[in-house]
Amino acid sequence: MVIEYAIVPFLEWLSTSFVYWLMILGGVVAAALIGSWLVVTLRHGPVVAFRCVGRVLSDTVVDLALIAPRRVLAMAWLAVKESIRRRVVVVFAVFLVLLLFAGWFLDPASSEPARLYLSFVLTATSYLVLLLALFLSALSLPADIKNKTLHTVVTKPVRPSEIVLGRILGFTAVGTVLLGIMALMSYVFVVRGLSHTHQVADADLRAVEQIDDGEPAIRQGHSSRVHKHRHEVTVDASGGVRVELEHGHWHDVSAGQSAGETVYQFGPPRGRLVARVPVYARQLRFKDPTGEDAEEGVNVGDEWGYRSFIRGGSLAAAIWTFEDITTDRFPKSSFPDGLPLEMTLEVFRTYKGQTDDPKTIPGILGSLSVGDPKTGKPIEVRLFTAKDFATDVQYIPRQVETPDGRKLDLFKDLAPDGRLEVWIRCIQPMQYFGMARADVYFRARNAQFWVNLAKGYFGIWLQMVLVIGIGAMYSTFLSGPIALLATMGTLLGGFFSRFMGDLGAGAVMGGGPIESLYRLVTQKNLIQDLEPGLKTTVIEMIDHVLEYGLWVTSSLLPEFDRFSFSEHVAKGFDVSGNLAAQCALRSLAFLIPVFVAGYLFLKTREVAR
Amino acid sequence: MQASNDVVIETRNLTKVYRDFWGRQKVRALKALDLEVRRGEIFGLLGPNGSGKTTTIKLLLGLLFPTSGQSLVFGRDATDVSKNERLGYLPEESYLYRFLNAEETLDFYGRLFKIPRAVRRQRTFELIEMVGLDWARRRQLKEYSKGMVRRIGLAQALINDPELILLDEPTTGLDPIGTREMKDLILKLRDQGKTVLMCSHLLADVQDVCDRIAILYQGELKELGRVDNLLKVRDVTEIRASGLDAQAQQEIKAVIEKHQGKLLSMGNPTSTLEELFLKIIRESEAHPGRRVRGEKES
Repeated sequence: MVIEYAIVPFLEWLSTSFVYWLMILGGVVAAALIGSWLVVTLRHGPVVAFRCVGRVLSDTVVDLALIAPRRVLAMAWLAVKESIRRRVVVVFAVFLVLLLFAGWFLDPASSEPARLYLSFVLTATSYLVLLLALFLSALSLPADIKNKTLHTVVTKPVRPSEIVLGRILGFTAVGTVLLGIMALMSYVFVVRGLSHTHQVADADLRAVEQIDDGEPAIRQGHSSRVHKHRHEVTVDASGGVRVELEHGHWHDVSAGQSAGETVYQFGPPRGRLVARVPVYARQLRFKDPTGEDAEEGVNVGDEWGYRSFIRGGSLAAAIWTFEDITTDRFPKSSFPDGLPLEMTLEVFRTYKGQTDDPKTIPGILGSLSVGDPKTGKPIEVRLFTAKDFATDVQYIPRQVETPDGRKLDLFKDLAPDGRLEVWIRCIQPMQYFGMARADVYFRARNAQFWVNLAKGYFGIWLQMVLVIGIGAMYSTFLSGPIALLATMGTLLGGFFSRFMGDLGAGAVMGGGPIESLYRLVTQKNLIQDLEPGLKTTVIEMIDHVLEYGLWVTSSLLPEFDRFSFSEHVAKGFDVSGNLAAQCALRSLAFLIPVFVAGYLFLKTREVAR
Repeated sequence: MQASNDVVIETRNLTKVYRDFWGRQKVRALKALDLEVRRGEIFGLLGPNGSGKTTTIKLLLGLLFPTSGQSLVFGRDATDVSKNERLGYLPEESYLYRFLNAEETLDFYGRLFKIPRAVRRQRTFELIEMVGLDWARRRQLKEYSKGMVRRIGLAQALINDPELILLDEPTTGLDPIGTREMKDLILKLRDQGKTVLMCSHLLADVQDVCDRIAILYQGELKELGRVDNLLKVRDVTEIRASGLDAQAQQEIKAVIEKHQGKLLSMGNPTSTLEELFLKIIRESEAHPGRRVRGEKES
């Protein structure tokens, strides 16, 4: 359960992305200018064309600079009215029905119900809202043109820029309200769906530790079984109740008296709907089995080499370097047990079966160490058993004891400048641990869950605004159904744009489109090289052109999945402000050119046709 | 009020060719039209269906772009947005948002102009009153009858108190009383110093209100001039008099007989516009290509 792509620091991202954005934008503008000049030249000759393009350019500057909020608001108001007339409220009904049915199918007793519930509500709202945005934005303007209602509008002193912007804003306002209400409904649905309590009565508890004179002792027992799980309950001598973690949550329990008997009242589940704020390592490096530095670990044959593996029973190690590990960030009051290190390691077994003492859980043993900056050697903190496919929490104590008995302070001695190294080794020979940079992190704190859910919906909102913008842009020059399809195509292309980019960059095994087709038809596998010759040269040449086209297309398409924070929210990770800001800017970077393009299309078309 | 020499609308060699998707020529809707409309006059564009009247108006509004030539409104190119501040347009069928009510409609269009809120409110109120829809001001336009939509369409065209009003078939869909009111209103607007350009194929309407007319047929200008001049039958003299005694009548008869005339009655009769119109159409069909260019007035 980790988020598998790294988030670049904001300023670093901004500087590179902004330059990239300017480059792409410059390319598009140049292509548009040259293209339109050529088209006009065909009909009216180069001089007229030059004057035409120049006039459109100067008009554009004027029309964009003189946008009047009053008229934009009037147009937005009209868009809102139109949406209401088109009965957007029906979406609520659909959503409600979806939630009602989902109540049957989502199993709150599964091992990770929060993830199930959250991904369901986030996916359902995003599909509904995106579809709504698609239909509203793509069909509105073409309908106006077809009904000729636009004639009465454009013969008022309203600029095409204001018509496009007003529509985008109006539909965004409608979508925002809908999304907000749906978010509230989802919150209630998730919290209520996961809510349950258990019971435990005095009679269920048995004494496990008797104090000599028969005074109340520590008693233990199990709560009632609800949602296919029960909690271990411990009541100590003073009456304090402790509920063990089960299925990723615990309950607050208060003891009360009823009819002479002690009744333990369980509160709602806690610890399930979380927003962990992870502190990721700056860097992950490896040691090879002989203890030498290595770029990467071992590849165990996965085609997708996200994780690197280290061999057990050798000197191979994975070393995470964390920064900013200070007492300010991890104060003793909040972290009395030490620093919580969460890790999700993949285990690659070369043999199976009971590998250890039968009393322990079968698993692969590993060691967790921290680096000593003075010697550069690791100091072992503890051994652990790797849990496959689950997130394990290990605490690194605030004081670490060296093998020779010295006690080192974690912050003063081991991370004097805030840099802390965490080493992980696999103890058992012939077994492997697989890891990536994001697999191991410190949990700095928990953010508010509802804030995080709101951020998740903010991601959907960004997607919605983008869809509205793109739909409005297409609708300025295409008829309704075609605009709808074009927007949908862009949406789909956007979801695949990273793959397209990889394909365009030639990073996908098996070559470009034509080469792939050739391999498909001739049943050649991906590894085999094509035999050199004229045929191969021609194939590669065509592929180069196609790949360039793919690269250009992928650069122009927004990576829609990047705007979704659903994965973070569902997996219980805090959506950092950095990530949210990057996505917000990213969508703005798409919206601005899309808006200008929409304006230009509307301006240069004949409204009356 | 007499028309001044201040030109409000001018078209120079205005031509519009409709093309299909591939750029192939489909229809030449308008052929080298030269027109001038002066401040304070009611100008009528007349012609059968498909003669290019609406195309002309759309070109003047910038809804269509000319294939060649120029159309100027207030001396500015027709595609210039700022001309719309001083212009009102009533489309052929009132293309209004059916989900708005009368007040919302006028308020919405009013907000597109730089009009203070209070003035906008005031004008909305007055215009609804003027077109006689105060009893239905809060009903959605989809519940309106055709005549009612027409009236609210006229109201929206006047929301900015325009100097120039373009009316596309203003009387279609109106009952006789509505037609009369519309014509009175057009005359009233002229009296307020506004310029009106209307197009119609309803000859009676044009004859009643227009100062000058242009007759279009198949995209060509066939006739242009003052309505009273165009309708004067020059080779017939009509004399109607009273208070003449028998001797005076004898003398007049004698004069006519001396000139080999035959007295019917005295005076200048006028034909109806319908006759003129049909005559022009017949002539055009008989001699295609004959056309009027520029101003031709006597």
